[in-house]
Amino acid sequence: MAKLGEFELLVLLSILRNGKEPYANRVREELEEAADRSVTRGALYRTLERLRAKGHLEWEMEGSEIPERGGHPTRRLMVTDEGRQAVKRARDVLAVFFDGLDPVLDPKP
Amino acid sequence: MSSLPPPLLERLLAWAYRSDPSNASILGDLREDYATLAQVRGVARARRWYRREAVLLTAGRFLHHPILVSTGRTFMNESFLSALREDTVYALRSLRRSPGFALFTALVIGLGVGATTAVFSVLEPFVLAPLPFAGADELVWISNAPPQGATSQSAFTSRTSNLRDFRAQARSFEGITGYNAFFEQGAYSLTGDGEPERLVGVGVAHDFLDVLGVEPALGRGFTEEEGLWVGPPAVVLSHGFWVRRFGSDPDLVGGAITLNDTPFTVAGVLPASFDFSSIFTPGVPVDFLLTFAVSDETDRWGNTMFFIGRLRPGATATSAQSELDAIIVGLEEAQPDRWGLGARVTPLRDKISAPFSSALALLGAAAATLLLIVCVNVTNLLLARSPGRAREVAVRKAFGAPRGRVVRQLMVETLVISLGGAAVGAVLAWIAVRLVSGAAGLAIPFIDHLSLNGSALLFATAVAVVTGLLVGLIPALQVADGGEAGVLRAGGRGAGTSRGARRLREGLVVAEVGLACVMLVVGGLLIRSFQAVTAIDLGFESDQAVAWQLNPSVDFETQQMRADFYRALTARVADVPGVQEVGLIDALPLGRERTWGAQLPELVGSDAQGFSIFPHMIDSGYLEAMGIPIVAGRGFLPEDGLGNEEVMLINESGALRMFGDVDVVGRSLRAGWGEERRIIGVVADIRHSSPEMEAGNQAYFHFAQVPDYSTLDMVVRASAPLDRVTQAVSAALAEIDPSMPRRESWTLASTVDTVLSPRRFTLRILGAYGIVALLLAGLGIYGVLTQSVAERKPEIGIRMALGASGSDVLRSVMGRTLALTTAGIAIGAVMSLAGSRLLSSMLYGTSPTDPVAFVTMAVILLLVASAAGGIPALQASRIRGIRALRSE
Repeated sequence: MAKLGEFELLVLLSILRNGKEPYANRVREELEEAADRSVTRGALYRTLERLRAKGHLEWEMEGSEIPERGGHPTRRLMVTDEGRQAVKRARDVLAVFFDGLDPVLDPKP
Repeated sequence: MSSLPPPLLERLLAWAYRSDPSNASILGDLREDYATLAQVRGVARARRWYRREAVLLTAGRFLHHPILVSTGRTFMNESFLSALREDTVYALRSLRRSPGFALFTALVIGLGVGATTAVFSVLEPFVLAPLPFAGADELVWISNAPPQGATSQSAFTSRTSNLRDFRAQARSFEGITGYNAFFEQGAYSLTGDGEPERLVGVGVAHDFLDVLGVEPALGRGFTEEEGLWVGPPAVVLSHGFWVRRFGSDPDLVGGAITLNDTPFTVAGVLPASFDFSSIFTPGVPVDFLLTFAVSDETDRWGNTMFFIGRLRPGATATSAQSELDAIIVGLEEAQPDRWGLGARVTPLRDKISAPFSSALALLGAAAATLLLIVCVNVTNLLLARSPGRAREVAVRKAFGAPRGRVVRQLMVETLVISLGGAAVGAVLAWIAVRLVSGAAGLAIPFIDHLSLNGSALLFATAVAVVTGLLVGLIPALQVADGGEAGVLRAGGRGAGTSRGARRLREGLVVAEVGLACVMLVVGGLLIRSFQAVTAIDLGFESDQAVAWQLNPSVDFETQQMRADFYRALTARVADVPGVQEVGLIDALPLGRERTWGAQLPELVGSDAQGFSIFPHMIDSGYLEAMGIPIVAGRGFLPEDGLGNEEVMLINESGALRMFGDVDVVGRSLRAGWGEERRIIGVVADIRHSSPEMEAGNQAYFHFAQVPDYSTLDMVVRASAPLDRVTQAVSAALAEIDPSMPRRESWTLASTVDTVLSPRRFTLRILGAYGIVALLLAGLGIYGVLTQSVAERKPEIGIRMALGASGSDVLRSVMGRTLALTTAGIAIGAVMSLAGSRLLSSMLYGTSPTDPVAFVTMAVILLLVASAAGGIPALQASRIRGIRALRSE
């Protein structure tokens, strides 16, 4: 069972959140804005490849209406069942470790 | 449509990801973000971003390539990378031991890289970069089909009825649009807030921006209603003008500006990426677009427009041409008396680059030749260094270094040097590009937007790497092959002394001299042409003359009032101290021109072909102010005005061509739409279109009798210093009409200068390249002979000891120099003869085989070669026999 890295987890979550537009560009935008980290394209594309190799992710090519793309297709990203399981496991592990830590992380003044 | 990312980088990415099934989507992602960024942060920022992403993606692709990383058996595996690192460190260390050599070689490579990169930057917009239009490859230029030999603009433009009928009938196009080519004649004064200003507006068909696929940066394009003959007046401002005059005020859109006392709605602002003038009218700045009606009214004006069409998918320029040909045949059958029908379809890109293609090809060829000379030179430098390296290599090989490793190490060394050369070259190219784009008056498309961009830097690096690989290989192989134990025993005399090695170096010098000879001959031919062009008698005196364009703010009710105004104005200017003569014309020479038809009255109504004439409206002072002599009869007098007999002047060549005689005073001519006019004088020819073009049939009319002009140019001949007179005249003009917009005055000398600028531009670049080539050739000769003298020292010593004199030795070394140079010149001359035919379209008054150019260049080369070979020859002649042998 392949484990998820932090960035991989964020990518999978972002794809799941962008249910209507599960595209690489939307994912990258969300990661940059919400997670406030700069994401190079090389890192993102490699992560996508890696997630696919682990069986967490699939995609199919889809024509795009966006004129700026100049007719280039886009990848519709889909998290597999296996990917969903991996995300859930990661959440459960995190939940266990976060449990009871609130007073430590946000000490009341 | 927004701009596209740099095509070269996109191609690089497509190549790097060619085996990835998702590559198209990756390119699409990048395009999408590029467009967003370009819109939000500007194109420059977006290009920088794209460059970084492209480099990172490409590098990342290779560094993480599964084959490279995992199998370990391929070219660029981990151990290779670490070995490469080692080699680089070793190379840097060995170069630090001979910094002079490293620096000098990098400098020489930098010259070649700089020269090619600078030319690449000029060529890139023509060849590689897309035009700033969506689907630019579908756009075609449709001009009229001019009669054989016609050169004037009116022969190439077309009537608006042609546009109407082509639009209605042609199926090859998604749309056809056009602009009024004679826009300069409509000058607009902007009044209202701030200084009044004279502006240039171009009339376009209302769908101009739609067909080109240009999306305004702000606001909208023209509506169909605005395109009607008396439609609501509207303008679309050029980006530059909007920024300069209105401080990029976005609220201006939708408001109005006052042009020639008429309020015009500001419909929109063009995007910065689309500069009308840099594409269609290089050298003539355009401030705004307005509509030009496609209607019966404008059709009566004759040939006015250039058309641009967008091809339907599947149609080509050729298929569109055949369709238009068929349509024209149909129209001619239906309307036998219709005139001015014709169409010639060319891809828009070709049309834009065509006038410059020979000059640009020449620059490209010159840069490539220079690079070749650089390669030969550096190879020679490396070969000269080989003997010194042979010992070191022999030691390494003795310790078991495989041959491949030694070659690679030497190549890495050369590559390190050539990357240094890339840096030098980039700096040189940057300087060159700055100089070129700053040069005023260069009428070359895109020149205002020239910059050393990412593609150019990539190009510079690629050139340097390829150069490094090319020049490093032969020396590296030679050194690596140098005998092992033999070299060690021979006490440092290594591979370099062999007869073969010397032959190779001498052969390279001969090649270098030959190439330099070609460059010099080409430069010489261009210099001769330039001399011939500057020696042309233009027919008017350009010194001590200043001009203004007059655009009075007054609305004249009658032609008499207009004529009186100008008469009073010239009278006032003539009183300014220092003003010798003052004259008026609708358009000064070497500027714009138009043509009219003309017929001899006795042939009117017959089938005889008419003539075409260049009409000029002048006042009575013009000919004298310009220094144009009257050959027969008289010029205009102040009395020849409105209400008097309709008269005209023609030039000598025109008289000969139309009447077969110069003595035509008293005869008549029917010109344009006007009545028959009596010819009262014959004036000398002037070169009106360009210095290189013979005078056409020129006709001069009195401006009061033929008021067919919208503005007049005033020319002042000064007897006092020009700047003082210019100031005084400007002040006088302000007195007469305070709100007349005044763009600065210009001198006639500067006009002539601008016309010569493209020639001077090529000449300067080629001149600089030629000098570099000459220096490199001299350097090559010096290097090879110094080396060979050093190697032959013992031999020379023995000869001297046996009784040879210093001058014998001097003669022998100089003989070698001259033999090498002559061989080079011979080869170069043959190559030049073959190549200079390609040059003939750029030559004027000079034959491509001009003996003066060939002989002068050969002499210069021989002189430089003698100087270069003289130093080692003198050194050789001073060798003292015994001492030379002892030093061995």
